[in-house]
Amino acid sequence: MTPDLILSARKLCKHVPSLDGSSRQMIHILNGVELEIKSGETIAILGKSGSGKSTLLGLLAGLDLPTDGDVYFDNIRLNALDEDGRAELRLDKVGFVFQSFQLLPNLTALENVMLPLELKSDANAQAHARALLQRVELGNRLQHFPRQLSGGEQQRVAIARAFVARPAIVFADEPTGNLDTTTSAHIIELLFEVNREQQTTLVMVTHDENLASLCQRRLLLEDGIIREASP
Amino acid sequence: MNTLRLAWRLLKRDWYVGELKILVLALIIAVASITSIGIFTQRIDLAMHDQTGRFLGADLMLNSPRPVDKQILDKADSLQLQISKSLLFSTVVVANNEYQLAQVKAVDDHYPLLGKIEYTRQLYGDTIESANGPPAGKAWLTQRLLKRLQLKAGEPFELGDSELLVGGILKHDPGQAGSFMPIAPRMLMHYSDVGRTGIIQPGSRITYQYLFSGKLADRERFARWLKSRLNPTDRLIGGKQGSPALNTALDRAEQYLALASMLSVMLAGIAIAMAANRYGQRHFDQTALLRCMGATQSRLVKLYSLQLVMVGTVASVLGCLLGYAAQQGLVLVMVELLPDNLPHPGYAPFITGFLSGLLTLSGFSLPAILRLKSVPPLRVLRRDSMPLPISAVFVYGLALLSITGLMWWQSGNLSLTLIVLLGTLACVLILTVLSTIMIALSRYLLGYLQGPWRTGLMQVIRYRRANQLQILALGLALMILLTVLLLRIDLLDRWQSQLPAHAPNHFVINIQANEVKPLADYFQGQGITTEGLYPMVRARISAINDVPVLEAVPAGARIDEALKRELNISWASSLQKNNKLLDGQWWTQADSGKYLISVEWGLADRLNLKLGDTLSFQSADKQFKARIRSFRKVQWDSFQPNFYIIFPPATINEYPHSYISSFYLSSEMKDIINELIREFPGLTVIEIDAIMQQVKVILDQVTLAVEYVMLFVLIAGLVVLLASLQSSMDERIHTAIIMRTLGAKRAFLRKGQLAEFTLLGLFSGLLAIAGTEIITYGLYSRVFKLGFELHMPFWILGPATGIVLILLTGWLYTRRVIMQPPARILDN
Repeated sequence: MTPDLILSARKLCKHVPSLDGSSRQMIHILNGVELEIKSGETIAILGKSGSGKSTLLGLLAGLDLPTDGDVYFDNIRLNALDEDGRAELRLDKVGFVFQSFQLLPNLTALENVMLPLELKSDANAQAHARALLQRVELGNRLQHFPRQLSGGEQQRVAIARAFVARPAIVFADEPTGNLDTTTSAHIIELLFEVNREQQTTLVMVTHDENLASLCQRRLLLEDGIIREASP
Repeated sequence: MNTLRLAWRLLKRDWYVGELKILVLALIIAVASITSIGIFTQRIDLAMHDQTGRFLGADLMLNSPRPVDKQILDKADSLQLQISKSLLFSTVVVANNEYQLAQVKAVDDHYPLLGKIEYTRQLYGDTIESANGPPAGKAWLTQRLLKRLQLKAGEPFELGDSELLVGGILKHDPGQAGSFMPIAPRMLMHYSDVGRTGIIQPGSRITYQYLFSGKLADRERFARWLKSRLNPTDRLIGGKQGSPALNTALDRAEQYLALASMLSVMLAGIAIAMAANRYGQRHFDQTALLRCMGATQSRLVKLYSLQLVMVGTVASVLGCLLGYAAQQGLVLVMVELLPDNLPHPGYAPFITGFLSGLLTLSGFSLPAILRLKSVPPLRVLRRDSMPLPISAVFVYGLALLSITGLMWWQSGNLSLTLIVLLGTLACVLILTVLSTIMIALSRYLLGYLQGPWRTGLMQVIRYRRANQLQILALGLALMILLTVLLLRIDLLDRWQSQLPAHAPNHFVINIQANEVKPLADYFQGQGITTEGLYPMVRARISAINDVPVLEAVPAGARIDEALKRELNISWASSLQKNNKLLDGQWWTQADSGKYLISVEWGLADRLNLKLGDTLSFQSADKQFKARIRSFRKVQWDSFQPNFYIIFPPATINEYPHSYISSFYLSSEMKDIINELIREFPGLTVIEIDAIMQQVKVILDQVTLAVEYVMLFVLIAGLVVLLASLQSSMDERIHTAIIMRTLGAKRAFLRKGQLAEFTLLGLFSGLLAIAGTEIITYGLYSRVFKLGFELHMPFWILGPATGIVLILLTGWLYTRRVIMQPPARILDN
């Protein structure tokens, strides 16, 4: 593997039983995906609804295991790790931004952002979280609960949370899927700014061509395989 | 440290969501129930010990036919126990040319170690409490002895070779343990006077009595040490070795009370399990996110376990405090049965309550919490990713194991625990079948109902699993309460009303042979009809067919009360009325003087006696044997003098005996008792109606105490209601919002809910009263042998109570459901 490769997928396959539950009727979501991502790159994975984008993201981030093939994360073969091993890897190196924000409703904005640092036993969790919330222009919303924030504000909290532990890579799953156009633009701007500042690798799943165009590379997932999208 | 902080923070915020409150509430009820009973029983135990002490005049009493080894006294001394020595013997006292056998106790300066001796200086004088016995040269005699010897206070009398003065009239001696009806009157004298009486000779029948008192730990050490060094003829009384029968009865009552409190723990456990389940389900998303962020499974287990410990700690502490307060209430309820100034409890019941809380919580909530660790992180992307279901064996097994463990711990008796547990399970099974039938039948009502009632019934049927649990929980609690209430109100009244009119209500005992004729004349003169005068010899059964009695009887009969004490045995030529010959033959005139016996059938059955068996008896220092000739059935509640063992005439009349009789006296003739005692000062009159009144008070208070404990069960049942409502709350709100959107008015929804709770209450109440009738039918027909009738007022009381309780609780808890604005349909 090339030294600056952070993530690669080899012949990645994911098959799931059909909805009627019979194992003979398998749905082939991914059919031998080959992928290499270098450290610091920004990558968009495009595809139609149901094309398997989120499944691929789950496999790349180590949230799920492939039916066949391998994912290498920082030269570590994810298949070789058990779920706790993969959890530790995520703790050290991965951040997430989700379409539905996934903030804990019972924690304030500040506490939500502190969460990854607290899992890492960072003694300065609060200071770091506070700084990053200020960076995403939510310095005056620290003690607000998610339900007291707008969709855009919630996603900014989620961005702060994704980057607060300075991960090597951030996975974003349709980060603007639940937001209006104006808010989306602002969120994307912020996401890319913070990403640039921290020189993080960004892997984004989206069906939004405009959003994808902001990334250095654009990949298209179609019929279970991936290819470079035409510019 | 971070996990701890995180656990605390997440928990703090979770508090505002319902199920944690329910979990905490359920746990508080469980712990309060255990703690209150724990404190209560400990206080009674301490008080009982205190009373035992006063009863013995010490903490421990050692009786021996010979002086004990010096090393025993040295050991007691080294453990800093106080020691007092007494001598007990029977001897003849002489005064005014009267000779009277007396039971004498010679006591040293330390006697009694606990309690006070009561005496008067003159006959009928004021009672004086004394911490010591009489001084040297003086003796305190009972009134009976004084009268027999025609003595007055201050006068001299002869005892062996010496002369003593009457120093006072003995009213109460704390050390008079044992004999309820002593044959000879009693006297207390100083130890130092014994020598000069010359009474103690080699071979004299004397009991050397040693009393010990000191700190609990010291005397328990001493008792343990002593036990292995005792001769077979030595008897150690007090402590745990020889507690009186009352203690045993109270111990058993405490065990049952503790087990009854376990019912609230079971119900609370169900509520805890339901709340924990919902808590677990609501935390799937949070857990998936934490997993996604890199939290390992072990860390999640730690996080949620810490939360469990925090919740458990807070709830258990609150439960302990509530338990302490509730226990004060229990003391108030039973105030007439309990000694004044109950001792304060130690820390033990609080620690037990606290640990029980943690055990209950983990036993019922651990499966739901452990399930969280298997939430897949992929759930953040795919919400249909669910954790693995938990094995039902694990869930029910753990719950059953923890409740059995707790019950065993509480009662200290595994077989009793299993009996109660299986009994409860059987009850639950029957009630489950009944409630299933009830809900199934209620479907047929749907066609006849309209409007809110129809909506309400549909809700009952829709949530039937949760509702069935609810009906069961509350039905079970109500059933026990109704049963206890019914027994309290009904049982004693019915028993009393079934006694024949003018059944004897007084017993008179300690009648001496020379008093028989004058007494019979006296009764006749007063127009009082007695049940006859019966002779009575006190004797212990010592052997059956020459095998020592404890070896001869079945293992289960070794603790039979009849073997622990001396029995009153009698002789008679003819069969008493209310006695029925079951087997064998009654004797004829020709059998007079033969050592034959007729044995009460129940005793014979318990001891496995056969016709022709030979029983050996020990009366004072004499032994005699007799062969069983017949078995009799005795009607004990006839209130005539009844006997376990009867001899033919001219047999045991050579042994010391007194007579017994019983008679009826109407309340306006009660003054005769005083006159009777003045006329015959040696007699003891026992007022049965006063005892019956006392029994009623005891029964009232004991059942009140049980009802009090059952209140916890009822509250726990209501918490199950809350938990089941909580589990259906989201769906209820969702349904209400849709109904509102479709145009249903709030009033319509409210009426529907009220109808649902009314029906639930009605079902619980009906189930409860049906169960109560089944139980009382069983008790009345099998145990009490009373006729059974349905208790119609309870058929109204039960359902009404169920409706009020469920309606109030349910309505208060679900009010907010109908307050939801229809606009929420637009929310995500």
